[in-house]
Amino acid sequence: MRMKLAGVALAALMGIAAWSPSALADNTLVVAQEAEPVGLDLMRSSIQTTMSVSYNIHDTLFRPQGDASIRPALAKTWKQLDDRTWRVTLREDATFHDGTPVTAEAVKFSFNRIMSDALNSPNRGKLSAFDKVEVVDDRTVRISTKEPYAPGLYMLAYYLPIVPPHAVKEMGDEQYNVDPVGSGPYRLEEWKKGQEVVLKAYDDYYGPKPAYDTVTFRSIPEPEARVAALLTGEVDVISGIAYHQRERIRKSDNAHLTDQMGVMPYLGLNTYEAPFDDKRVRQAVNYAINRKLIVDALFDGEAILAEGVISPRTFGAAPDLEPYPYDPDKAKQLLKEAGHGDGLQARLAYPTYMTQIQQQAEIIQAQLAKVGIDVKLEPFERAVMWDRYKAQKHQMYIYWWDDAPEPDRYVYPLLHSESRDYYYKNPEVDKLLDKGRRTLDREARAKVYHEVDHVLYEDAPWAFLYIIPDVFGVANDVDYEGRRDGFLDMRSAKPSSN
Amino acid sequence: MSISDTSRARTSLPPGIRLAIATGRSLGGHTSAVIGGTLVVLIALTAIFFPLFYQVDPLEQDLLSRLTPPVWQEGGSWAYPLGTDNLGRDVLARILYGSRVSLSIATAAVAVAVSAGTLLGLVAGYFGGRLDNVVMRVADVFLAYPFMLLTISVIAVLGGSLINLVIVLGLADWVVYARTVRGSVLSLKQREFVEASRALGARHRRLIFRHILPNILSPVLVLATVRIANIIIWESGLSFLGMGVPPPDPTWGRMLAEGRAYISQAWWLVTLPGLAIMITILAINLFGDGLRDALDPRIRKTAG
Amino acid sequence: MARFFLRRLRHTVFVLFAISLISFFFIHLSGDPVMLMLPADASAEQIEAMRERLGFDDPLHVQYLRFLGGVLTGDLGNSLYYHVPVMELVLDRLPASLELALAAMAVALLVAIPVGVLSAVKRGSLIDFGSMLGALFGLSMPHFWLGIMMMLLFSVTLGWLPTSGRGTLAHLVMPATALGVSLMAMFARLTRSVMLEVLSLDYVRTARAKGLSEALVIGQHAFKNALIPIVTVAGMEFGFLLGGTVVIETVFGWPGLGRLVVEAIFNRDYPLVQASVLVLAMIFVLVNLAVDLIYGCLDPQIRVFDEGEMK
Repeated sequence: MRMKLAGVALAALMGIAAWSPSALADNTLVVAQEAEPVGLDLMRSSIQTTMSVSYNIHDTLFRPQGDASIRPALAKTWKQLDDRTWRVTLREDATFHDGTPVTAEAVKFSFNRIMSDALNSPNRGKLSAFDKVEVVDDRTVRISTKEPYAPGLYMLAYYLPIVPPHAVKEMGDEQYNVDPVGSGPYRLEEWKKGQEVVLKAYDDYYGPKPAYDTVTFRSIPEPEARVAALLTGEVDVISGIAYHQRERIRKSDNAHLTDQMGVMPYLGLNTYEAPFDDKRVRQAVNYAINRKLIVDALFDGEAILAEGVISPRTFGAAPDLEPYPYDPDKAKQLLKEAGHGDGLQARLAYPTYMTQIQQQAEIIQAQLAKVGIDVKLEPFERAVMWDRYKAQKHQMYIYWWDDAPEPDRYVYPLLHSESRDYYYKNPEVDKLLDKGRRTLDREARAKVYHEVDHVLYEDAPWAFLYIIPDVFGVANDVDYEGRRDGFLDMRSAKPSSN
Repeated sequence: MSISDTSRARTSLPPGIRLAIATGRSLGGHTSAVIGGTLVVLIALTAIFFPLFYQVDPLEQDLLSRLTPPVWQEGGSWAYPLGTDNLGRDVLARILYGSRVSLSIATAAVAVAVSAGTLLGLVAGYFGGRLDNVVMRVADVFLAYPFMLLTISVIAVLGGSLINLVIVLGLADWVVYARTVRGSVLSLKQREFVEASRALGARHRRLIFRHILPNILSPVLVLATVRIANIIIWESGLSFLGMGVPPPDPTWGRMLAEGRAYISQAWWLVTLPGLAIMITILAINLFGDGLRDALDPRIRKTAG
Repeated sequence: MARFFLRRLRHTVFVLFAISLISFFFIHLSGDPVMLMLPADASAEQIEAMRERLGFDDPLHVQYLRFLGGVLTGDLGNSLYYHVPVMELVLDRLPASLELALAAMAVALLVAIPVGVLSAVKRGSLIDFGSMLGALFGLSMPHFWLGIMMMLLFSVTLGWLPTSGRGTLAHLVMPATALGVSLMAMFARLTRSVMLEVLSLDYVRTARAKGLSEALVIGQHAFKNALIPIVTVAGMEFGFLLGGTVVIETVFGWPGLGRLVVEAIFNRDYPLVQASVLVLAMIFVLVNLAVDLIYGCLDPQIRVFDEGEMK
């Protein structure tokens, strides 16, 4: 017995000692994010940290640009046949990672797959305007929408990764999710669950060959540890940097910051129930919040004041709108007119997983108290927050979206009643948003969104807050520029020349 | 001196007072107990009476003076003796106020655990048989259930209010007391004075509460002091995961958890509440050690 | 012996059954995961269809029986979030968890036992006072605080150790220490007090009186007896370590089971929570069984296989 015990102890000790040190190859880029990917099938996730990894494995037909335009990717040329139809011609030389060519059939298969009930893709709704994809010949497809849909190709550029029909059918959806075969610049080498995803450059990639042979995605959940890892040179690129950590990276000799998407928090109001069913109360909340002070105090003045629902950085934002001024007297006045001269009580829900939201909620609570709105903070764990959101149980709530270049990407899903009408419904806004989708002429389209912006400014379904430009941290020996969509796209990363 | 002798000699006094007298008498000779006890009393008094000498609202924000350092550091001022936090709130006021919240949670949770655990342990040990079996089986289940996960899933469902935290932390901890108490009861049951009372026809309730309970209180007391310290640490762990007491009420744990984000800019945000926790736990443990030595040198500390 | 094992087996099965029942009903109380799995614009039909497909429209007891059936056939289902078999996920993470728990325990015991023994032998000396004061400090620090402080010192300032991740021994040092320090403190105190107790027992006095060398008395007679409570507590703590490391796993990005389960609770990934809780509980029970067996080796006088009461 004693011998056995000793044996067990010895085995345990040897186990501890036997880990091989991971040898880092020279030409490797290490990226650290907040969370490990959920799966690697780009069609099956809408989580930023997950999509960032699989976006390097998969390619789409077009490459989305910061001004909501597109450039060729798997598609070589395209032509609009009529209001509702495009003809898209694929490149000749694009192949999947198993060597088979990217064909028109694959595009059709991919579209049908993402729209299928079986896959239950979270991004299906974003492509709901599309009708069908037809194969014209081996390299040509015809894509049609149900109605004229102005941002159509841009949405395809985001949400329709092209997957190989044979591989998906052979493996099944579940296996494909852990062992994807894309047509992007990197192929999956190994996924060490809980630790890292290792990608290798795909030799036959049709585009410019990526500069790094290997890209490793790691997850470091603790924000302090992520910054520390960047500063010590253990990792080359990090995401999820809290505002107050930026200064440290800026000051360091090892790393710098690059802009990416903007985070646009908003304070949603339940317009279906008292007291926020009264427009004057909603406006009062807008007047009572000192956004400028918050932005100065928390973000060194670097955040952009929101002047309405549409971010000033998004196409179609009304140029003549000014942010609601901080005017507590006016707020009190409006509350009095609405019959709340003695003040009122309200609940403010926010999710606990975005730690930076809490301090903003606490400031807003203090500011609203000054005009007589007594706010009770309700921090909810993510799932509970979402359940209550959908069950219309929130009175005031904080959520956020990124300020995408294309207005249809967030204004429609958040405020069109056919997408979600949990807290707000306005037939006029619905009509305008529909019109915005159908108007193909860019200038005419901008005018439609200006009008949307005005209507929502006046109606105030939210208290508008600010847009916080988010950043990535990048080691100084890496040359990488963040993108407005917030994906960690390593197609463009390369060793810096200095 | 053993407690059972004392209790027999002074049966006229209520058990609580008897224990207090015995404890006080034997504590006198233990330096660590004296130091620890004094500190504990000081901390408790501060938590109760601080508004008399420091009247600053711990929730009042002054965004333009956020992250002001403590007074002795460059940039600090007497307006904020220990500096301000990320929203410009007074750190001293928050630590003082936080002492109330943190200590109340810990004390209340221990009270829940002690009452539940002692009662079940008493009943199980005294009556034995099937009842004992059931209680101890349940205890085994609780023991094997990953505690942290239990706490987190309960808080995730019920939300992190003060009451919920107390209940959850208390429930997670009752087993320790139940087992200790049961063990003591088992050995006491054999002792002559209990058997004598029983022979004289004393009722169960009288036996349990007049004769057995006073004699098992000391190990429970010792254990409870140690566990209070543990619960303060757990609370900070839950805050770290975003599942502690909801804002705006400050607790030491939450201050620590939130302050960690500013660790390289504002050391005082994580160091000062950390110190408060350390000093308190140190005091409680010193006191607990002394208490243990004083009450019964044979009591083994089995849980930590 | 066979009888003992039969009883233990029955007991184990009961505990695991009870735990699965509790965790099952608890997590189902928290609400339905379907809403979380579908986008905001999902229609009522889509929600209903999904609910039906996953079996969440059945009564709770039917769902539980299905789960139980799965346990018996070794199929605990697929993760709702990761879409792979849950056992695969749990087994992927288990080695990292075991590794961290073992290392923390090793760090704690390797320091605590000598310190505790020394303190007891040199009772009242400066060594005793110093180490017990140190132990008190060790007990008073929240894990994550210690972890972050260590990271700032050893990784950022000194550059000696990697900040996070798993792989080499160097990766293990900080998380194991951060986790081990409070255990170390606890064990040092425990060792000291049991040693003191044992040293005052008759047979140790007898051994001394017989003129046996002090080292032999302490090492052979006293320490061996003192080991019993230490092993008991170590067994219990090991179980807590496995399930309770989530904070340290988060700080150091350690790919262990704790974080996986906590995230699963947040994501309402029922099958994953169920499987992890079961596995953790099973390990706890097994470790404590092992502890009981070790008793037998340490002290033949303890009759583990007796008919007498079991814990």
